[in-house]
Order: sequence, then structure tokens, then C-alpha cells
Amino acid sequence: MAQNENPLYEQQPTAAATVLTVEKDGDTVARAQNDGHAVTKRLHKELMFLMTSPDKSISAFPDGENLFKWIGTISGPQDSVYESLKFKLSFHFPNSYPYTAPVVKFITPCFHPNIDTSGNICLDILKDKWSALYDVRTILLSIQALLGEPNVDSPLNALAAMKWTKKEEYKKLVMSTYNQA
Amino acid sequence: MGWKSFQKIKNKLQWKVGHVSFVQRVTAASKKNPSLEFWKLAPKTIYRTQNMSASTSEEVRETASSSSRGDGGDKPNTKEEEKKEDNLLECNICLDTAKDAVVSLCGHLFCWPCLHQWLETRPNRQVCPVCKAAISRDKVVPLYGRGSTKQEDPRDKVPPRPAGQRTEPEPGNNFSGFGFGDGGFHMSFGIGAFPFGFFTSTFNFGEPRPNVSPHGTPQYMEEQFLSKVFLWLAMLFIAWLLLA
Repeated sequence: MAQNENPLYEQQPTAAATVLTVEKDGDTVARAQNDGHAVTKRLHKELMFLMTSPDKSISAFPDGENLFKWIGTISGPQDSVYESLKFKLSFHFPNSYPYTAPVVKFITPCFHPNIDTSGNICLDILKDKWSALYDVRTILLSIQALLGEPNVDSPLNALAAMKWTKKEEYKKLVMSTYNQA
Repeated sequence: MGWKSFQKIKNKLQWKVGHVSFVQRVTAASKKNPSLEFWKLAPKTIYRTQNMSASTSEEVRETASSSSRGDGGDKPNTKEEEKKEDNLLECNICLDTAKDAVVSLCGHLFCWPCLHQWLETRPNRQVCPVCKAAISRDKVVPLYGRGSTKQEDPRDKVPPRPAGQRTEPEPGNNFSGFGFGDGGFHMSFGIGAFPFGFFTSTFNFGEPRPNVSPHGTPQYMEEQFLSKVFLWLAMLFIAWLLLA
């Protein structure tokens, strides 16, 4: 059983080290270290890239010690009802990142046709259209674009999809949801 | 090399390029921080100026100004420059310089281990991560640089095994499943209706047969008796089958 668990899954490096010493199978240890290293290396690179990027409308940073959990922020796209609002998102990277997509959720409540009440996002690139090329920055930009241009044909929030065309009402609902936080 | 040679280089450079700003900057910076080792950088710059006409001195000035900007020596700046060039040869998946590099037919560069793992994660929909063109193992071209002495196809190397998958335990009730995996593997088949269930053959894997009891114990006698009873029953059944 223990061999099937990857000791580096969403764990801090310090905790991983203790788990690795417990592990008996030498091969498993080497592999786990290697894989975990590749993921953390890539996440480090992304972090460096984001920190040097001049784009002020998006940002992301690891949540505490754990490099596998990030908190991202996006500001609502200009000329949309979300303009001047700031949304926080949580990123949860699997150990198989970047081969599989991270789990991204809204922390700040967001009234939007493709975002449900618990913050889940319906976005194809986070599901079947995921590519290893995508990174935190592209995800944040995609979500920012999604805010301005929702897909009302496959809504997670039916009410939002219905009200999308009625701008005044929609804006009110957006603001009341946003102010719940 | 020391201060004198630096002065020489300085003069030479001034004469060659006719561009003062580099020298001014360097002089200013070295006054501020005399320990700066500009002569380490200077030969490279001179080499460049000797090979280029004065019209391309723009680039020289750039190198110079970027190096005089850094107070802690020229290391970070040269690194930055290298980085810019390296970006072109970075794997699109791990974002690092491509190792065992391969190029897809659509022209995108990857490390073979990275691309292999990407193809493994979705065996029935193998697309280029960059442009989503159809790709496969046979449709990538390995790259051999001058440094690689062994012209070994990276695709022949054993790619790293895929990462172990760890899934979160199901929250809430602990459904024990269908009885698989909680003991040895059981398989049994038989012919006949209920009363002849004795004659079904049973295979048990992973669960050893019970040991034979030692001689003389009452259990041994019992087992012997039972086996005799079953032997007779079997013979009777076969006889009945033959007669009927």
C-alpha cells in the first residue's frame, strides 16, 4: 500500500524528506524525488516568471510553505461588470503537474454563469483541453477573459446565465455576491 | 590583468569605437567601487569592437552599460543575457533547457522524457502541447548537437516511469468493496445442482491449504474417516452416473 502513495504529493519539502527515509523500496524513493523535483522546479520557474512579469492585473504566490498550493488574484477585465473588482483564486497542483491541470477554484464569491456557488470553474482548458504548455499565468488570463465573456450555453449558475443579458440586474447581483466576502 | 591593463584597454576602446559613454560609465563605476573587475569583461568587448564597424557599436554600448549597472560584479547580467538566448531552446513542458531534445513535425521543442510523459498521459489523444497538432512517437525528430558524442536516439532511452498516482481517500462511509482484494484470490467452478456441491473443484490462490494434522491425533483419524467417506460417495456417484 505505502508504495502506491507518492510521498511528495502536496507536501512541503521538509515533510517529504521524513517520509522518504521511511520508505524502504530504493527505486520508489529515487523516482519520487525525481518527479517531485521536476514539479517544484517548474513551479519555481513559473513563480519567477510571474514575479518579473509586468502585468499588474494578475498575480499569484504560493500559499505559505507549500509550493503545491497557490493563491492567485485577478482583477476584473476592463469595460465589464467585474471592472475594479478583485478576485482571489486557489490553485492546487497535482503531483502530475504539468501533465494534468491544477484544480482552480474561486475563493472570492463570484456571480458568473460558469462559476458555481462553491467557486468551481467550468473552463475547458482546466478539463479536457488542458495542455502541458499552460501555466499559472495563462490560466489566470483565461479566467480573466472568461469573466468578461461567459459561455451562457453551458452554465453552472443558471440564474447568472439568465440574467447575463440584463446588465443592470446582473451588475447588482455581481456586487451583492462580491460583498458577501 | 590589473588596473594598468585596464587603462590600456580603456584607451584602446576609446580610440577604436570613438564612443565615450562606455568609458565614462566604467570609469564612474570603478571610482565608486574600485574592486569591480571590469577587465574580465573588457577583452570580450574589445574583441567585439575589433570585429565590428563603428556603426554596430550600439550593441557594445549595451553590453557595457548593462555591466556597469550591476554593483556586485558582472555575473548576474551575463547570466541574464545567456538566459535570453536559452529561452529559445527551452522545453515547452518543463521550461528548462531541453535535454534529449526532440522536435515535433510542427516545430516545437521538447525534452524527450517530458514529451513522452505527455503522450503517455493521454494515449488516445496525442496532440502537440503547443499547437495541438497530431503527434506521435514516430513523428518527432531527435536533435543532435555538436557536443553529443554518442548519436543515440533519445527515444531509445528508457523514459522515466510515470509518476505514482496518489488519490485522496473517499470521504465519509468506508465501503469495503465487493470482497476483492481483502483476502486471497478465490475462484471456484462446479457442475451440478446443490447436493452435488461436494464435487465442485475449488481453486484457492494465496490461501494455503490447511496443514495435515500429525499422525495419531483424533483430528487425523477424523480427517482420514472423512476422506474415506468422500471417496465412497464419489465412487457411488460415478457408479450411479454409469448405471443411470
